[in-house]
Amino acid sequence: MSTKKRIIMAKMGLDAHDNGLRIVSKWCADAGYEVIYAGVYNSAERILQMTIEEGADAVGISFLGGEHLHYSKKLLELFKANGLESVKLFAGGIIPPADVVALKGLGVDAVFTPGSRRAEILSGIAKCLEAQESGS
Amino acid sequence: MADSPKIQFDHAEGENIPHFKSLSGIEYKRIYTREDWDKTLPDAGEYPFTRGIHKDMYRGRLWTRRQQSGFGSPEDSNELLKFLLRVGQTGINIDSDIAGKIGLDPDYPLAQADVGLQGTSMCTYEDMAALFKDIPLDRISSTLIFPPPYSVVLMGQYMMMAKAQGIPYENLIGTMMNCPFTQLVGPTFQANTDFFPIDLALKIGLDLIEYLVPIAPKWNVLNVNSRNIRESGVDAVQEAAFSLALGMDFIDRLCKRGMNVDTFARRIGFFSAVHLDIFEEVAKFRAMRRIWARQLKERFGAKNEKSMWFRCAVQTSSITLTAQEPLNNIVRAAVQTLTAILSGVQSVHTTSYDEAYCLPSEETHKLAIRTQQIIAYETGATKSVDPLGGSYLVEKMTDEMEERIWEMMKEIDRRGGFVECFKAGWVENELNQARYKLADQIESAELPIIGMNVFRDEEEVAEIEIFKQAPDMQAKRIEYVINYKKNPDRGPVRKALNDLAERVKKHPDKDLVVPILEAVEAKATLQEISDAMREAVGFSIPQ
Repeated sequence: MSTKKRIIMAKMGLDAHDNGLRIVSKWCADAGYEVIYAGVYNSAERILQMTIEEGADAVGISFLGGEHLHYSKKLLELFKANGLESVKLFAGGIIPPADVVALKGLGVDAVFTPGSRRAEILSGIAKCLEAQESGS
Repeated sequence: MADSPKIQFDHAEGENIPHFKSLSGIEYKRIYTREDWDKTLPDAGEYPFTRGIHKDMYRGRLWTRRQQSGFGSPEDSNELLKFLLRVGQTGINIDSDIAGKIGLDPDYPLAQADVGLQGTSMCTYEDMAALFKDIPLDRISSTLIFPPPYSVVLMGQYMMMAKAQGIPYENLIGTMMNCPFTQLVGPTFQANTDFFPIDLALKIGLDLIEYLVPIAPKWNVLNVNSRNIRESGVDAVQEAAFSLALGMDFIDRLCKRGMNVDTFARRIGFFSAVHLDIFEEVAKFRAMRRIWARQLKERFGAKNEKSMWFRCAVQTSSITLTAQEPLNNIVRAAVQTLTAILSGVQSVHTTSYDEAYCLPSEETHKLAIRTQQIIAYETGATKSVDPLGGSYLVEKMTDEMEERIWEMMKEIDRRGGFVECFKAGWVENELNQARYKLADQIESAELPIIGMNVFRDEEEVAEIEIFKQAPDMQAKRIEYVINYKKNPDRGPVRKALNDLAERVKKHPDKDLVVPILEAVEAKATLQEISDAMREAVGFSIPQ
């Protein structure tokens, strides 16, 4: 049985700017994670369903157009309602500084904005998943 | 012993750039001489138009300052358009929100959170009329960014508006972009195929061209968005090869419909990116003009020189902009704008420096227009045609770019043309490989980006004003369209939609523009019309 951590990578809503999603997905796969690439045009309900079906340890969602608060909030609510609080949630993309704080306040585990380097993103993800192992 | 104060300075031994390759990998020589290029070129305005499509270029008329704009409701965007025209914009480029570009109304569940965010929310005739309120359609040219089949719906609304204002179609000036492969985020596969069958979209796009060419002779019927191709991460050679190959694929298909190339080719344009490698970009545009002209003349037998013109609008690159030290983006955009002018393009959108954070504010839009005006009026870059022409470097680079672009176009041709390459996933693979490569180049700083991967100031906290939408904008738009669909005063919507669905089902090979326009006349909404066609072919969309 594989012990690789499973991460769903997705864009949510209608924005299909997927440069960042593609690149970070590859970085995660290269770093040894099992990436489940959900592509673009996802609803929160669909990501919830995938998270359950795939038994994902984490979900990474990418934004560009300003939909980040809406979808992060919705997804976290669905996770909570379905007993999936332990699933880690990362967000990335064009997110203004005040909203980075707001997202973390909602319960998003890590937020990566434009210009984040590979090492920074991967160590951020690793740290969250380690915390998950130790039960926090 | 007390430490003497030290300053951190890594370049005491002489500062070097990491390599001498262009962005697409061409090795710049130490110096270019007559041995690299010793030819002569025809004048600007003469075939193959290397030096520009017009004899006088900007001496005759400046380029159009055309900022892509739109946000929130059509009324909000109308105010923005008026502001932009007041500060010196000379053309309009309407960006709808994503729902508008993929045929959804604001009340569609998956669309609701995106309403009005990346462009103006529009789905009804009344929206179009509100957006263009007080704008003279026969004096200011407008670009409308919609792929088919939605392009037909929005064009229908635009034509209804012209009719209501008493402006004949033959006086309409502007562009319906109308390309089903490049209007969203470049030719990525899923983005362009999830909401409508791609073959049917292409077919309807061609129908629209055939419909518009005879009745609106000044209207541009197709624009290949090569900027979106470039911004997905490919290099200048790929950008040029993909977009020219796609343009030729369209021309081929229109000729096969029996249209005479000289009736429509002059109404096809391009929307390109301008990146930071100044001379490679200048060479790219010059090479594209040459290839396009040669293909139109030799392959498609165009007789009218205007059919051979590679007409190009540009927007300076967004992918080059950084969230770190955002003011640096003003410099990048200014250099790119100057590069566009040195390349002889027809219209320019200078990207605002706040792009890595939000939509441009009025202030940053204005700065973008001022950037163009400074180049136009203060620098002298406009006073002579093709000012870089004859430079050994630029001419050699133009030849080299032309050769590389042409090689890639031949490969695309061998694979059945751009459309086949898109459908087969070849384009998608090329894009992804390019993205990974670009990411590696940024990581290694082989592609240096000031303030991001070199000279990064870890202490820096970007201070930037964030553009904000009205908090109730989305709810209002959703409510508006729900009520609109309940309005009993609309025309015979149901009948028009049924007729359209029947036509799509039974005669998909016949013209579909007229039945779509009839549904527009009946005041059906964008999604009602789109759904009628989707349902007719049993196509389901993401929920």
